[in-house]
Amino acid sequence: MADNGDALIDSLAAGLTPVRHRTALRDEMAFAALAVVEVAVYLALRGMRPDMPVAMGHMAFWWKAVSLLVLAVIAVATTIAALDPARSPRRGLRSLAAAAAVAVAVGWGVDAARGGSAGLIARLDWRDGLDCIAFVIGCALPALGALALLMRRGASTDPRGAATAAGAAAAAWGGVVFTLDCPHDDPFYIAVWFAAAIAIVMVIARLVLPRLTRW
Amino acid sequence: MVSLRLPVVRLLAPLPLSAILAEAGRETRVAAAEWGALMAAAQAGHGGAYRRLLVEIRPWLLRYYARRLPPGCVDDAVQEAMIAVHTKRATFDPARPFGPWLAAIARYKWIDRLRAMKRTAADALPDDIAIGDHETAVTSASVLTALLATLKGPQATAIRLVKLDGLSIEEAAAATGQSPSLVKVNIHRGLARLTATLAALPETGSDPVSDHG
Repeated sequence: MADNGDALIDSLAAGLTPVRHRTALRDEMAFAALAVVEVAVYLALRGMRPDMPVAMGHMAFWWKAVSLLVLAVIAVATTIAALDPARSPRRGLRSLAAAAAVAVAVGWGVDAARGGSAGLIARLDWRDGLDCIAFVIGCALPALGALALLMRRGASTDPRGAATAAGAAAAAWGGVVFTLDCPHDDPFYIAVWFAAAIAIVMVIARLVLPRLTRW
Repeated sequence: MVSLRLPVVRLLAPLPLSAILAEAGRETRVAAAEWGALMAAAQAGHGGAYRRLLVEIRPWLLRYYARRLPPGCVDDAVQEAMIAVHTKRATFDPARPFGPWLAAIARYKWIDRLRAMKRTAADALPDDIAIGDHETAVTSASVLTALLATLKGPQATAIRLVKLDGLSIEEAAAATGQSPSLVKVNIHRGLARLTATLAALPETGSDPVSDHG
């Protein structure tokens, strides 16, 4: 046993190469760079919604954009922090859930309750809603890939928690990107369809990423 | 009380008792801060520092897994943890303490091993399986227990925690409520007393341990 241990130590010491220790800030900068590239590519391919100047005058548009951006920032920070083996993502996930609850509450206050409950089904606009889910998931994939790469380089000791946070981060960022194009600003519509897209990406990430990033 | 067999006494007697007990818990303990400095040097490519770090953390890992896994799994778990330390060394931040980082990796690999054990079906052992003779190990353990029973409680406890279980002076002090200085004094006096006990044994005389008990 000692011989095996000594041989392993010899082997590991002989194969030692210098490494640059990872920092959360560097990972966050790398993710931010990718996020900027994704926005640029998206705008080049699909452009911005035509009524953007008008939309920017509405509270609901800013509620949508800011809520998704805040969720993305919290989730990215949680994911990257969890790549340190001595840190858990659980606290960050709780913050994320609290932020999501606050976002929904604020959205309700903005104008989700307008028109009462009678028109809720009509406001959902099923066809556009399903399109929104597909777009948000599509926009989430580059971010999910980037976070998966960061997870492979890191050493999360709670891979399921980190993967859940990564899924939330990627999906929320996908929502931010799609906000530039999505013509819907109704908080009720956003709360249903964007939340569904985020939940789908989170489930996929939770199921897939722990296997891909196993160490 | 346990009988102290003469061959065992002869086996133990040529060495100072402190050496015998130190052999039982011979792992080197280095402050985690020093391990952090060694890992920082290893990240810069310093092979000597890295080798020293691995040599020094190996006993810690052995103790860690020996308390948590079946004996047959301990060595494999230690090697997996050391490989994980190697492959994930870039995730150590020299500005942060090394101990929690190493402990987190060790724990992760422990849980990983437990999951693997759960997935692996265990075969029932046949009734007529031959097993090795553990008499020597059992006898030595009994002798040590009997010898420690000749000491005052705090001395025996301090020796058992530090020399046998591998705790640091600070950990033993925290576990017993003694001050670190008192732990050291108790170890010193206890070892001296045990040495005197062994030295006083006649070549073919009776068993002082069993006499005491």
